[in-house]
Amino acid sequence: MSAALPIPVIQFLQVATIGVAAPGVSGVIAKVEARLQGRRGPRVLQPYYDLAKLLHKEALAPEGASWVFLAAPVGAAACYLTVPLLIPVLTSFGLPLGYMGDILGGGLILALASFLVAIAASETGSPYAQLGASRAKTFSAITEPVVLFVIFVVALVTGTDLPYALAATVRSSASQIVRPAHLLAAAALFMVILAETGRIPVETHTGTNEFGMIEEARPFEHSGPYFALLKWGSWMKQLILYTILLNVFVAPWGLAATAQIGDVALAIVALVGKAVVLGIVVAVIDNSFAKLRLFKITEFVSAAFLLAVLGVFTLYLGGG
Amino acid sequence: MSATAAVAAPSVYSGGSSVIALGVLLAEFGMFRQALLRDQVRLYAVQSGLISVLAILVAAVRHLPDLYVLAALSAALKVVIVPIVLRRLLRGIGRAGEDEPAAGWTEIAGSGSLSLANTVLLAIAVAAFGFFSVRALNIRSAVLPITALEISVSVVLVAFVLMIMRRDVASQAIGFLSLENGISLAALVVAAGLPLILEVAFLFDLLVAVVVFELLIRVHHGRAESLSTADLTSLRG
Repeated sequence: MSAALPIPVIQFLQVATIGVAAPGVSGVIAKVEARLQGRRGPRVLQPYYDLAKLLHKEALAPEGASWVFLAAPVGAAACYLTVPLLIPVLTSFGLPLGYMGDILGGGLILALASFLVAIAASETGSPYAQLGASRAKTFSAITEPVVLFVIFVVALVTGTDLPYALAATVRSSASQIVRPAHLLAAAALFMVILAETGRIPVETHTGTNEFGMIEEARPFEHSGPYFALLKWGSWMKQLILYTILLNVFVAPWGLAATAQIGDVALAIVALVGKAVVLGIVVAVIDNSFAKLRLFKITEFVSAAFLLAVLGVFTLYLGGG
Repeated sequence: MSATAAVAAPSVYSGGSSVIALGVLLAEFGMFRQALLRDQVRLYAVQSGLISVLAILVAAVRHLPDLYVLAALSAALKVVIVPIVLRRLLRGIGRAGEDEPAAGWTEIAGSGSLSLANTVLLAIAVAAFGFFSVRALNIRSAVLPITALEISVSVVLVAFVLMIMRRDVASQAIGFLSLENGISLAALVVAAGLPLILEVAFLFDLLVAVVVFELLIRVHHGRAESLSTADLTSLRG
């Protein structure tokens, strides 16, 4: 029980936790959502079965698509497996590779993954995939200023832009939690995450053929193992964003303070538990609001922008 | 790693009171979003309630028992009476319109010139002006953090944007009433120790404003058969 894990093992466990738990968290959300709608819903483990099924299927590429089409899902999945190295997934102390990149570095890798999926979608001749790719790029360009202002808040609060530093600051005292800048930035980030993971005010993530599709439309032409990688990637992206919100902004408790096996195991359970709670909140939001019309999404994003900008104002003027 | 550049956290009390004051400002921004007058009135009630909560917080922490009375009076007036009066007024107008029942409930005239997202951006710029201009005045307050005063000025300015952007009489009236909420917030910061009788006198001024607005809305609706002020511009020669 008291044996300490070698640091590289913990580093690997961070990636493994995100990769293995991501489909499960998504399964829980789908189940809760179905229960709230009075349906029985799929099994919690359904995403794993889906992945297993897709991995055994044949992969097809549309005629005329180049190697980019097939390389992109692999590249995107690799990006999503890199980000967990940079953020506090399991430990409250920084791991050696955690200082490879700051919040901007993590954001860059996430953006790269989304870019790869978008160019793969535009490799195909499918209007749906291209429409999804162009919409996804348009709306991520709109949400970008919000993310920037959230990062400004982090930078002003901690003096650095390392995610570990903000988590430590939030843990340090109650006054750090109720300060307006922190609450505003966390709320703005939550709204961005709703938009980025394709949740209800922005996009319905269940139905397939719909004109409101953004993220969901991009992998239309992929099949077999490549489609499995894209699915897995979007689940990992969801869990990564949840982890950033939870372990950096909202609830950085339950992280392992030492490298003891018990602490790290507890941290894994705590992370999955917190992600499930957040997922239930998201499912409730999914069921209580209507999807916005495509051209009304700017209103949603402008509300998030308002929160993030007010966060910077209150900080800059000394009150936050 | 230089942690010296970090902005120190305010105390729990001043952080919490800033959050409540920010809630007032966010409610003001929320009024841009509301498409129904009924929702706007409800948001006004929430905003007024937040100010009462802030007054109670100040009273408890700074030991100013007068403020409890003020908070109770303000809540009774602005959370209960004014919304009821406004609702009854709008419902009456809705019923007077012949066929469409409750037209006054749904009819709201947007700006027509700017989209909602752009309006919010404009209001952010105006609010920023409020923040930075008060900061330049260098005022200190004994009872509340100065952020609350900055926010109150922003609330007043954003309420002006709301009144300018909306083209129906009823939401202009609500914009004016919420402007008064911003002034109450400023009063809490700079003059929490003001004699109770003065503060109450200000509160009853609000009642007069409501009566005047009721009259204006009725007269306008009687003449133009709608709440929109668009008809007024056509009178220009």
